[in-house]
Amino acid sequence: MNRQEAIKVIMTTIGVQNAVVSTTGLISREIFEKFDSERNIYVPGSMGLASSIGLGLAMAQQTRRVVVIDGDASILMNLGSLVTVGNKQPTNLLHVVLDNGAYASCSEERSMSGTARLDALAGEVGYQYVRTADSQDDLKRAIMEFERGPGFILAKIELGGRRDFRRPLELAAIKNRFMLFLARQTQGE
Amino acid sequence: MNQSNKSVLNTLAGDRSEKADLLHGVFHELGVNFASGVPCGVLRHIIKNFEDDAAVLHVLANRESEAVGLAAGAYFGGKIPVVYMQNSGLFSASNDIASLLVPYRMPIFFVVSYRGCEGEDAVQHLTTGRATEILLESFGLPFEIFGNQNLENLTRSLFETMCKAELSTFLLFKRGWHR
Repeated sequence: MNRQEAIKVIMTTIGVQNAVVSTTGLISREIFEKFDSERNIYVPGSMGLASSIGLGLAMAQQTRRVVVIDGDASILMNLGSLVTVGNKQPTNLLHVVLDNGAYASCSEERSMSGTARLDALAGEVGYQYVRTADSQDDLKRAIMEFERGPGFILAKIELGGRRDFRRPLELAAIKNRFMLFLARQTQGE
Repeated sequence: MNQSNKSVLNTLAGDRSEKADLLHGVFHELGVNFASGVPCGVLRHIIKNFEDDAAVLHVLANRESEAVGLAAGAYFGGKIPVVYMQNSGLFSASNDIASLLVPYRMPIFFVVSYRGCEGEDAVQHLTTGRATEILLESFGLPFEIFGNQNLENLTRSLFETMCKAELSTFLLFKRGWHR
């Protein structure tokens, strides 16, 4: 499974009312180019904070599922957020880490995810649903079987893939439509 | 237990601050319902009020960056957040403020303790103390240092400007502010 395939599985399997928080670099840029939607918020700067933003949102809107699409180097920059998630126990948070073992958005320098056992770590600090996925079928099943979180899916992906995506630039407009989406759906529930 | 230890414990257990209570009341009226941060002794009364208020979702953070992310997520979800930290933490979180809150035009209110000013007895605060106002100025973000102003008027006016300008805004408190 490569990044393109993993992102496609996630974005086409999760519910249409789910909010998506995606991490810095190629992950956000690929989602922006192929699956841009009012339900997405991109984290082009502040690397590492996607999981914290997702947790804040999940706690603010406890009836909405929040899907964080993170990277291995990104979560390694903010490991404390795993502990915070485990402590706060947001049942509506699904945290997916695309793990290619590298800073793939830079020049594919090796990260330390190979020795980190991120899935075990997530389970130890209190995530209630922990899966690993090596294939598109595994990943799809792990998302579909998720009911009650906090959930953590470690999706192993291959390095490489397209790099020439455009960047999300109109961030204030992306924020405004995201907040309208969140407000509208909350009122409807 | 010797006398000095006892007095420290008494301070932690007992004290209230009328100014902190006033600030909390203003926050309440402004709709603040989410708080996150990393503790600092200078802000202890403010933090205690967040913790004791069932109307405020209070999430302690492990690092200041995390608090910025939590507050941003809560803001997206319709909450009105306050972030608290020591000014040393502003430097930890400076990229997150600059690359998340500024380009997304997020009006997040920060309560920041200001160490490293005149009379500072801890050397580790001196460099960040000298750089604090310069950092915020260089980011183009509004800030005020609480001194002799009317705290209610100051907070309301900062909040109002923050929401109009969509710029995160900082209220700085020096040691002893709460008396």
